[in-house]
Amino acid sequence: MHTLKLLSAFLKMNIQMSLAYRADTIVNILLNLMWLGWELLSLNIIFSNTQTLGGWGIGELIALLGVFRLVNTLMIALIWPNTEKFNQSIRDGSMDYTILQPANSMFLVTFSRITVWRFWDLILAIILIVIGINMSGDLITAPQILTFILLALSGIIVIYSLWIVLIALTFWFTKFDNNVTILQALLDAGRYPATVYPVWLRVIVTFIIPIAVATTIPLQALRGELDFNQVLIFFFIGVASFIIASRVWKSGLKRYSGASS
Amino acid sequence: MFLIFKRLWQVNWAEQWQYRANLLMYLLYWLVSPIIYLAVWTSIATANGDVNGFTANDFVTYYMVLLICDQVTSNIVIHTFGYKIQDGSLSGELIRPIHPMLTNALVNNVAFKILTMIGLTPIWIILFFLFKPDFSSVTLTGILLAIPAMMLAFLIGYFQSAAITALAFWTTRVYSIHEFYFALILLFSGQFVPLPLMPQLIQDIAQYLPFQLLLYYPIQLILGNLSTEQIIHGYMMTGVWLVISWSIFNWVWRKGVKKYSAVGA
Repeated sequence: MHTLKLLSAFLKMNIQMSLAYRADTIVNILLNLMWLGWELLSLNIIFSNTQTLGGWGIGELIALLGVFRLVNTLMIALIWPNTEKFNQSIRDGSMDYTILQPANSMFLVTFSRITVWRFWDLILAIILIVIGINMSGDLITAPQILTFILLALSGIIVIYSLWIVLIALTFWFTKFDNNVTILQALLDAGRYPATVYPVWLRVIVTFIIPIAVATTIPLQALRGELDFNQVLIFFFIGVASFIIASRVWKSGLKRYSGASS
Repeated sequence: MFLIFKRLWQVNWAEQWQYRANLLMYLLYWLVSPIIYLAVWTSIATANGDVNGFTANDFVTYYMVLLICDQVTSNIVIHTFGYKIQDGSLSGELIRPIHPMLTNALVNNVAFKILTMIGLTPIWIILFFLFKPDFSSVTLTGILLAIPAMMLAFLIGYFQSAAITALAFWTTRVYSIHEFYFALILLFSGQFVPLPLMPQLIQDIAQYLPFQLLLYYPIQLILGNLSTEQIIHGYMMTGVWLVISWSIFNWVWRKGVKKYSAVGA
């Protein structure tokens, strides 16, 4: 209850901030639509030259684009603005005030900045997933939809946990302030099924920077390609990575000593 | 003049060297999408035998050369100069008797470029052993012809980006305009895929635009895929677009500086 109240306060504050820049918001939405157009065009170019890509048709790739955009929204609406604020607060010591507040510091660091207009991207992403699945003609059952939602959530939590670990490293290495670039850099690999990549790249995007866990794998679940054990494993990875990230965050916080002391 | 450039070089080199960790991150960030395109298209070509005559090796060599060409012809002027107009720190440079955009910012870009090239070299060699491309079509003449072509293409791109950056004299939204410009490059330069695989309409338009000179033309030059006529045509296009881009930049810059009134003035 307490958490929800805080969240809605953050939302209100961020809506007010973005209302101050209305024209910018409209320009950003137009640019966002332009990129969507480009993404669809690039898929069209790929599939005018081939029937399948790594065993997937154009419908599946449009759905994958939708899932990719879910993760990308997380990056742009939450991770980037909060990283910026976090790095700033480590440099100038304003992290002191965050820690002093009577709420979970990891929660505060995650949600204090929200790029509100990006939420329309979520709707767009869901539309892409629905259209893509319809085009692919795959038969989808209710349990498959449930496992998809479960694994999409756990995939997003894996990415989120990795982010927490990356920014927590700043507690040890203060100068490590391009911490998130590596995450964003590899994110683009989530646009295509990981099965088309050469082995070394597949290993990187599955195990090291697990973009594929949040994009390819949930969609495989939606298509019913995963058995029960695999679903369980990927769900467990999500839970485990969150626990590890919280631990790393806590021990990092202990090392924090303020900028001036 | 030589002394001025020497001094500018020392300053800008030191400045870029200071950010070498950031530079490595930038390089990583920039590397990922060509490698993904490479992986996607080679996988399609291997599955289907070829794609409209392009074999898997054609794609590997295309993107491997693209990595170099893109590094040579691209620029970062919007990121290193745009804020100077916005926060007024340009004033200090304007009172110097040299053109800020054509001396300091240009040298800064070249310093950045040489550092990223140094960073790219080992990565490129690793990729070479991972993908094992067959570069047998590359000739020394092709490379020698491509070097001036790429340098001129860099200037074309530089003047265009500089013109867009100079729009900051009027609007705070230059970064959005530049994003749109970037999308045009993606569409017409052959960055996503060799131009002959693009839809016919885009190919037809691309012929008349400068963007293919940044990537597609020098790549084909290096890979030895062009006839003498095509090479001459490409160089003529480069000349024409260099003059056009320079004139546009010059015009926007002059108007902009007249309009300029620094923050706090």
